[in-house]
Amino acid sequence: MSKQQVVTIKGTKDGLILRLDDQCAYSDLLEELGKKAQDPGLEGAVEVQIHTGSRYCSDQAAKEIIQIVQSAGHLRVSKIQSDVITMEECNQRVQERQSETYIGIVRSGQEVRAKGDLVVIGDVNPNGHVSAAGSIYILGRLKGKAHAGNAGNREAVIAASWLEATHLMIADQMETMTDELAILSEHPEMECAYLHTNGVIAIDRLQDLRLLRPGLSTFKGGC
Amino acid sequence: MGEAIVITSGKGGVGKTTSSANLGTALALQGKKVCLVDTDIGLRNLDVILGLENRIIYDLVDVIEGRCRIQQALVKDKRFEDRLFLLPAAQTTDKNAVTPEQMKDLITELKRDYDYILIDCPAGIEQGYKNAVAGADRAIVVTTPEISAVRDADRIIGLLEQEDIEPPKLIINRIRRNLINSGDTLDVNDITSHLSIDLLGIVLDDENVISSSNRGEPVVMDPNNPAALGYRNIARRILGESVPLMSVDTGKPGFFSKLKLLFTK
Ligand SMILES: Nc1ncnc2c1ncn2[C@@H]1O[C@H](COP(=O)(O)OP(=O)(O)OP(=O)(O)O)[C@@H](O)[C@H]1O
Ligand SMILES: [Mg+2]
Repeated sequence: MSKQQVVTIKGTKDGLILRLDDQCAYSDLLEELGKKAQDPGLEGAVEVQIHTGSRYCSDQAAKEIIQIVQSAGHLRVSKIQSDVITMEECNQRVQERQSETYIGIVRSGQEVRAKGDLVVIGDVNPNGHVSAAGSIYILGRLKGKAHAGNAGNREAVIAASWLEATHLMIADQMETMTDELAILSEHPEMECAYLHTNGVIAIDRLQDLRLLRPGLSTFKGGC
Repeated sequence: MGEAIVITSGKGGVGKTTSSANLGTALALQGKKVCLVDTDIGLRNLDVILGLENRIIYDLVDVIEGRCRIQQALVKDKRFEDRLFLLPAAQTTDKNAVTPEQMKDLITELKRDYDYILIDCPAGIEQGYKNAVAGADRAIVVTTPEISAVRDADRIIGLLEQEDIEPPKLIINRIRRNLINSGDTLDVNDITSHLSIDLLGIVLDDENVISSSNRGEPVVMDPNNPAALGYRNIARRILGESVPLMSVDTGKPGFFSKLKLLFTK
């Protein structure tokens, strides 16, 4: 039994992939991973991806695996991928793909929340608050607070016909729109806010959104 | 069956009581039968502005708690024969003495005898506000051209939109010509587009408003006063007339002509 390969290494142009057997005992897997990680033959290879196949990988397990693989010092886990997710995660993903629409003005003291994307047809006035697990699209003036990706989605964006929010939040990043902020424009028409790869919120013209977040477009087919 | 209109603002001191007194008087001048209801329990002053303070015997809480009948508590303004009455607020009791249900019953009863019931709402969004709004068929929101007042108006409009009443209309009070000319104040257009509700009218800032309130004679009784003109126009719009918005002589031609004025009954 112990002769069987439970960790197979595959080299690709994007780096190494460690394919973990999904039938053996988890403890055997960790042991074997530990040995493989120390393998001097792997010297110099930096990025590794881990595929767990049909084995469910909990957050706890993911942490353990990353810790073991990285303990040797020369490997870095860029991604852990599993073919299975829980029902709960699945439902959440479905909800996050759905879009809710609010028609009206979000006035001072009011809060509108969505489990997926949020479309507001109307203004968000100062002290008004819109929040969504997905992206927020406002056909109107955003003059209050907006929080996109409120469950941690860093790909979420905030787009508005007129973007002069007091507070912008994406995932766990927040930006207060004070006058000193360089990203603010004189004429904030048709703009979108997103998390830049450097981890801070950036604002760009709305027409750049399809380049910045190609994944947001769900439209299939040519036109 | 009359119509009950609550006059509210969120922020204090922007002119709810002044507007209630003047609109009530203006409607009475137009021949309507009007009852003003002061719901600012503990801080009443509608009676003072109307000059009726000395004639109060019973108040709103006395009526609600059954110590007297409505007719006994109503104070008649003798200047208008049988057309203008005031139901004063209690000065002593606390505002939790009244519930929204009781207010609703009271206003419903008044609607049988009067064309218009104007309800002067206290500042804030607590119990007093809830009582004032309870019996109303529609609402007027008063603001001044200041950011803080406009913010609070926005909050109140949000709350009013949850109620089962017509969309509220806006009065912008205390507009100052010189500040508009120098660009040091929010302009009427900015305010109405920010709040996105219909404008019922504007009232200029005028020192006679204060002096006439002190004399117990609402300024609207002086036909030549500029603030009075604003109130008279608003009263006519409440009655369903379409009256063009008065100009504030800003030196910018066409400034107010941009404004949409929609007030249809
Ligand atoms: N158009 C005006 N021009 C000049 N002064 C005005 C005008 N309107 C109101 N005022 C003054 O502003 C002050 C506050 O007005 P008022 O009492 O009507 O406000 P309110 O909204 O009822 O206040 P509260 O929230 O305390 O009930 C008063 O002294 C009044 O005379
Ligand atoms: Mg008052």
